[in-house]
Amino acid sequence: MLRVEKIHKSFDDFKAVNGANLTVEKGKLVAVIGPNGAGKTTLFNLITGQLKADQGKVIFNEEDISSLPPYKICKRGIARSFQIANIFPRLTVFRNVQVSVLSQQEKSRKLFYPAKKLAVEETNSILESVGLSDRAGNTAGSLAHGDQRALEIAIALGNKPELLILDEPTAGMSPEETTATIELIKRLADSRELTILFCEHDMEVVFNAAQSIMVLHQGLTIIQGEPDQVRNSSQVQECYLGGAEPC
Amino acid sequence: MFKGTFSLKSLILLGAIFFVLLILPSIIPRFYTYILAVIFVTALVAMSLNMVVGHGGLFQFHHGAFYGVGAYTVALMLTKTSLPIWVCFVAGPIMAALVGLLIGAFCVRLTRLYFGMLQISLGSLIWAIAFRWYSLTGGDDGMHGIPIPSIISSSKGAYYFALIILAICIMVIYLIFKSPFGATLQAIRDNPDRCEAIGVNVKRHQLIAIVIATFFAGIAGVLFVVVEGSVFPDLLFWVFSLEIFIMCLLGGWFTFAGPILGAVIMVSLRTFVGIYTEYWTLILGIILILLIFFLPEGVWGYVLEKFGSRHKEAIEKGSK
Amino acid sequence: MDIGQAFTFSALGSQFLVGLSRAMILFIVSAGMSFVLGVLRVPNIAHGSLYMIGAFSAFSLAKLFGGGSGGFWLALILAPFVVAIVALVAERSLFCHLYEREHLMLLLFTFALMLILGDLVKMFWGADYRSIMAPEALQGSVSIMGSPFPRYNLFLLIIGPWVGVGLWFFSNKTKIGKIARAAAVDREMVGAIGINVSWVFAFAFVLGCFLAGLGGALVSPMVSVSIGMDHDIIMEAFLIVTIGGLGNMWGALVGSLIFGLTQAYGVLFWPQFAIVFPYIAVVIVLTWRPRGMLKSVW
Repeated sequence: MLRVEKIHKSFDDFKAVNGANLTVEKGKLVAVIGPNGAGKTTLFNLITGQLKADQGKVIFNEEDISSLPPYKICKRGIARSFQIANIFPRLTVFRNVQVSVLSQQEKSRKLFYPAKKLAVEETNSILESVGLSDRAGNTAGSLAHGDQRALEIAIALGNKPELLILDEPTAGMSPEETTATIELIKRLADSRELTILFCEHDMEVVFNAAQSIMVLHQGLTIIQGEPDQVRNSSQVQECYLGGAEPC
Repeated sequence: MFKGTFSLKSLILLGAIFFVLLILPSIIPRFYTYILAVIFVTALVAMSLNMVVGHGGLFQFHHGAFYGVGAYTVALMLTKTSLPIWVCFVAGPIMAALVGLLIGAFCVRLTRLYFGMLQISLGSLIWAIAFRWYSLTGGDDGMHGIPIPSIISSSKGAYYFALIILAICIMVIYLIFKSPFGATLQAIRDNPDRCEAIGVNVKRHQLIAIVIATFFAGIAGVLFVVVEGSVFPDLLFWVFSLEIFIMCLLGGWFTFAGPILGAVIMVSLRTFVGIYTEYWTLILGIILILLIFFLPEGVWGYVLEKFGSRHKEAIEKGSK
Repeated sequence: MDIGQAFTFSALGSQFLVGLSRAMILFIVSAGMSFVLGVLRVPNIAHGSLYMIGAFSAFSLAKLFGGGSGGFWLALILAPFVVAIVALVAERSLFCHLYEREHLMLLLFTFALMLILGDLVKMFWGADYRSIMAPEALQGSVSIMGSPFPRYNLFLLIIGPWVGVGLWFFSNKTKIGKIARAAAVDREMVGAIGINVSWVFAFAFVLGCFLAGLGGALVSPMVSVSIGMDHDIIMEAFLIVTIGGLGNMWGALVGSLIFGLTQAYGVLFWPQFAIVFPYIAVVIVLTWRPRGMLKSVW
């Protein structure tokens, strides 16, 4: 479904992504792991259009989306959540998700119809599936950190994506919250027939949940494969035990 | 379309206010009727600006340019051509929106401060041309004695004309505010990058908002000509644009009706302070400083917060 | 002046120098504004008011010191300091409390300051036009390329570059200048290494305003000193800084040259619309390079 081929991105002198490759098959739960600074968020930004690659391609459903702006990529069926809660602080929780649904329904520019009557069912169902129904009327900015992360995911779901990309969905969470979030992600994958790509640096989390794992180190793909493959790969063990040495 | 947009209580309140405004000219002196008409015009400009600033998050620093374009267009057409009145009146907002589209398309490529500074540059160009083209626009003196049809040129006539147009415009702006377009615009204000990520073409959306807002500014410009019978290059000058900005801030720019309140306060203060002292600008500066330090949400914003929190407390107490 | 006369070498050359000398004043004022913009990231709308105070102070100081040549020189030296003091008072009493707030609030504060200072000038000096005499040495004109050229303008052509050099030296070679430049790029970092960022800002603001005052004092013999000076210059400085590149001193120079020269030639070719020419130049530059011609400091 999604293929990233030999992608490069530099910021002035710093090579953030150095020829990474990634394959995501439809219906699977794929994870990208790597230590902090490995280039995971940069890679995601390259996929979803916030950044333009210096070299390489991003191909989605056989279409080259490398040079498209973010909003067009979203319309193609990719939705994304961000590492730092990237919500609409002054709007209510309900409105946060509704805006996303309206965008997907191509109703963002409707001028003379009360918004509160549109997309109500879809919005409520999404809020329920992430557990925020009881806080729908609260201002998004006033939510607790964990709830804001849930809202993050809810906003992305509003786009009815084929591929959902989650950037460090469990960042800053306690072990209980982490487990709950991973369960949520697995549930969403099943109930909404989503393909999910996420990144993490907590390996336990990843090995329990993902069906395919790509290991990223200093902007380069070390290996991509099933959890056992990756766990047993000598390259990976070297990388993580050897420290900052390039592999 | 309208059902469910307004609650019964607020409809009654609005109806009452409207009724009072309707009968006022018969009981108050002519001077106050004139001042109220000026307030109506100013309120419309402020509301139109707030559409892009408070609800859109754009640094529209030279909104007055569009107001002035609307006013000058109608003034020029009324004095130099013999086209029917209604054509001239409609041409004002259309011209303003066209200029808005042109300038907006230029500026929307940039963000925040650059947007604001580019807009001031382009708006000042318009001001400079109007200021110097003496033969066409009367330059520094402006244009006076513009032929307005007598039904609306009298003090009461202008008042009612402005009131009715203002009421219609506010209703339309409210509908837009409550529509998906308005909701998305506010989302763009809060987080434009996130909107891009959920599939919104942010630049196009902002541009449409600018065109709508400048259209209303143009309408306000037409009203200005009707109420004053003249037009001045000051309308196009950036200082005036910043004053409109202050009105929105004063009233509360995250609220819907805040700018109206801001316009009421500013025009009233300017008129009455002006009677006692020639240093109105000094007072305005002090008010602005007080606002920045103590009331950044504006007067109405502050009121809403106070009542909003009390309302919430009451609910919580009641449910225990 | 008909077109035939306008195109003589002498007229073109002389207008070039006029434009250049006007550009020097614009440069001094907008370099100050650019400096503040670079460090505080806020355009100082009150910059024009401080320029105006510089001019009025020069007038009063010159009168105080007898009105002759000596009086003028003393006024020229002291007026910018008067302005600097005004700026410091405004900054320490009110402005500095806003540094944590969003930039829009800072910008609105400078607008409020402009409104207040404008009326204070009116209160203190009244609404009449004032004029200052240039010192004897700088009165009258010299003949350059066959056209008369005011000596005072020549003086400006000499002073302008020195101010530029001084500012450059100051930003790049002195410790405090370098700190200010660092704060422009990353204020958190500067704070993290133990420097009081608030004082850095105070310093940058005062320096920028000092230059505005200097510009005002320098221009005082050339124009009628009156209220309303602030509105005119601030728009020009604003545009110059926008086309030059925000915070960039060389940009301010380039922008000032464009402004001064287009206006001078505008006067030659189409006097009625002379003031429109710089604006058109601005539109052209911004279409081609929306972020200004030179790199902005951030």
